[in-house]
Amino acid sequence: MSAVSVLGLSKSFGPLRVLRDIDLPVEAGDFTVLLGPSGCGKSTLLNAIAGLEDIDSGRIEIGGVDVTQQEPSKRGIAMVFQSYALYPTMSVRGNLSFGLRVKSTPKREVERRIAWASRLLQLDELLDRKPSQLSGGQRQRVAIGRALVQQAKVFLFDEPLSNLDAKLRTEMRVELKRLHKELGATIIYVTHDQIEAMTLATRIAVMRAGRIEQYAAPDSLYEQPETLFVAGFVGSPAMNFLRGALVGGIAPAVRVGATTLPLNGYAFRAPPSGGRDLVVGIRPEHIGLATHGQEPCAVDADTLFMEPMGADTLGWFRCGAHRIAARLPPQVARRISGSVRLNFAMDQVSLFDPASEARL
Amino acid sequence: MRGVNRQARIGRIGLYLLLIWTCLFFSIPLLVVIATSLKTSDEVRTFSIFSLPSAPGFAAWVKAWYSACTGLNCGGVHVGFWNSVRILIPSVIISIFAGSVTGYALSHWRVRGANIIMLFLLLGAFIPYQVILYPLVKMFSTVGIYSTLPCIIAVHVLFGLPVMSLLFRNFYAGLPEELVKAARIDGAGFWRIFAWVMLPMSVNILIVATILQTTGIWNDYLLGLIFAGRDNIPMTVQLNAISTTSTGVIEYNVNTAAALLTALPPLLIYFFSGRYFVRGITAGAVKG
Amino acid sequence: MLAPTVLVMLVCFYGSALWTVYISMTRSFLLPTYIFAGGAQYQRLFHTPRWQVAYGNMFLFGALDIVGTLFLGTLLAVLLDRRVRFEGVFRTIMLYPLSISFIVTGLTWQWVLSPTIGFEHFVRGLGWTNFVFDWITRPDRAIYTLVFAGIWHQSGLIMAIMLAGLRGVDREIWRAIRVEGIPAWRAYINIVLPMLRPLMVTCIVLIAIAVVKSYDLVVAMTNGGPGFASDLPGKFVVDFEFERANIGQASAAATVMLGSVLAIVAPYLYFELARTNR
Repeated sequence: MSAVSVLGLSKSFGPLRVLRDIDLPVEAGDFTVLLGPSGCGKSTLLNAIAGLEDIDSGRIEIGGVDVTQQEPSKRGIAMVFQSYALYPTMSVRGNLSFGLRVKSTPKREVERRIAWASRLLQLDELLDRKPSQLSGGQRQRVAIGRALVQQAKVFLFDEPLSNLDAKLRTEMRVELKRLHKELGATIIYVTHDQIEAMTLATRIAVMRAGRIEQYAAPDSLYEQPETLFVAGFVGSPAMNFLRGALVGGIAPAVRVGATTLPLNGYAFRAPPSGGRDLVVGIRPEHIGLATHGQEPCAVDADTLFMEPMGADTLGWFRCGAHRIAARLPPQVARRISGSVRLNFAMDQVSLFDPASEARL
Repeated sequence: MRGVNRQARIGRIGLYLLLIWTCLFFSIPLLVVIATSLKTSDEVRTFSIFSLPSAPGFAAWVKAWYSACTGLNCGGVHVGFWNSVRILIPSVIISIFAGSVTGYALSHWRVRGANIIMLFLLLGAFIPYQVILYPLVKMFSTVGIYSTLPCIIAVHVLFGLPVMSLLFRNFYAGLPEELVKAARIDGAGFWRIFAWVMLPMSVNILIVATILQTTGIWNDYLLGLIFAGRDNIPMTVQLNAISTTSTGVIEYNVNTAAALLTALPPLLIYFFSGRYFVRGITAGAVKG
Repeated sequence: MLAPTVLVMLVCFYGSALWTVYISMTRSFLLPTYIFAGGAQYQRLFHTPRWQVAYGNMFLFGALDIVGTLFLGTLLAVLLDRRVRFEGVFRTIMLYPLSISFIVTGLTWQWVLSPTIGFEHFVRGLGWTNFVFDWITRPDRAIYTLVFAGIWHQSGLIMAIMLAGLRGVDREIWRAIRVEGIPAWRAYINIVLPMLRPLMVTCIVLIAIAVVKSYDLVVAMTNGGPGFASDLPGKFVVDFEFERANIGQASAAATVMLGSVLAIVAPYLYFELARTNR
């Protein structure tokens, strides 16, 4: 398995700048996910790495080799597509073996690889069927199998699970994680589903409008988001954002509406200047009902409505000019109404500059 | 940004060469015919069809138009031209009208046995003319209109009906049902809906149908030969008669000019309608 | 509104067709008689040398025309599928023969292939004085010349149909092909063209039916000659009906034509219906 290096990659479609100076260092064995809303450029980036799209500037290295000018088949990659792209007139065995046969791979080797992939993905009973006789999940496994037999250095996945129903998707997620562990493969994976990203990835590159906003492990992304966008995109239900101002001094605090909340040991990037505007980000699970011994971090709010979600209930409150959500135990949520006092876990907040959207 | 490798470049050149070669195959017969038609009568006596005219002129064309001979008649192909026009216009109008109404009825109105009818229409489109010729001749004779203009028009309409009906039926079936239903709720009847709802949306298919029928009827030979009668001899029939008279020196320049004149109307339609022509031919072909 | 059209059509078409079939089983000669004769007409028909030639020609011409047109048309479609510049120009040139009537097509090719003024004459003029290409005047070769004209006329149609099919192929399959490093020509042969098998069958059916119906082309190009070496059933029927005035034989021949068409169309329609209903 190899590392992939993308350096300074840019691409435009006519006047539209789709990728802006992308740097993406992927280590061998990484499961890197390109995550972002539609139109952010993630698929284009994947296709560029694959060699299916030309780039305007930048370099791509796979396994230390510069492949920027190479055809896709010479880059040592294998790809799994959203619609599987299986060859409809061939059997599963044919689909798996055709690419190898074209490259004059010896028959015994072909057989060996098919047997191996088939065992790994449980394709044994399906080998003689045609794609039209397979279900969506089975087709997906064949597509993965076809990529596996290539024995590539890097595997590229283009939203492979988005055509499956929810239950199948969860099953396949487990499959993919297992495969990654067993093979130790280097994988670059595109999706718009942040739950998929969080569960599968070793590192996630969150993209927006052609740029990578943050490239880090799922936990870092979740707990220490670098930008407002990443903070709001990752995590469901989404992070709450409140506008406020910094109160300077020996013990920095933040003023939100009429309340001042202490910041205990917040790691500022640069020494903060008092009085500046900022955005406070706090996740629903870090807001709870205030019990009397926690006044310093409590805020007044009016109850709006409750959304039972099974294990928790999401409570919606109005706090000054903001609408915020809090995760509450269902029993507690059932008894709330009217004005309440909510407690904010201030050691878990993220602070952002409203203009640059960067973390403070 | 990617360097073009040599093999790909050679492949590309080969591709273009093949295409150009094939285009030569397609165009040379036409060019040769055009060249011949521009030659003078002297050149025609001892010549090769592949040689270029030394003094190109349209003399042969004029002769073909006004005074080419079929047997004893020397009236030129303009006779056939106007006959073909007289046959064409009513035939196209009636067959398109009949086809569109039939297609409309079959697609949006519950007709009993619609599927069977369509099957018969489909089969009817495949039946060779030869199977039906003689009985038709007999029928027209009995009615007394054999070998007249109405006769040939009726024949063209008849043979055009299956294809036209299917063409329109498939098109109208692609239009949303709700349109007709809404109109019916508003109280409109069969013909009103046809005129005010269907027709305005049919511009594209009407063009396609017109092209298909015009080309088919103009280029027809067999039906014109059998049913049109001596007074209405279409251009194609006349052309063949001219070209196969073997008395004396064969005036190739006149014959080729006559051929070009006959081929010109559909050819012009083709050049000016491009996309519609292709759609018409493929639609007429891929009915199933 | 539908009734008159349907009625007219049914009567004319099927009534006539049935009448013809019936007559083919009678003793009709100059004029139709209704004395039943079973298969006598057919027996005579298949012992007539001219019919034997014509019927055999239909298969020969048909097979070559189908293979040739399908091959050329598909090849051209594949070439155009490779994203060439001036595609519009190429397509215009390939398709214009379809707008030309079979009469003009036949005459044109007759002139081009004629030994006296056409190809042979031309090549001899260039210096190869012993060059011979007189197929159109040779009884054993005349039928093949019809194949040239047939391919010339109809390859464009097949090209248009196949190109539309090729363009409908999912682009992701092409991406998979590219990533696997499969060369384009192998991709077409092993993957893409097999996907278009139903379309090819449609093309074969269309050309086959056109072959069965052929009349104009034969008349213009060789008039069935020399002698009746390049005769085809379509011409046979018309000649026997109107020139030789032998209704019985003509009807029998026409029925054979009808049978041939049905033999092609019926299975095709059946498979098409089965396929779409699956």
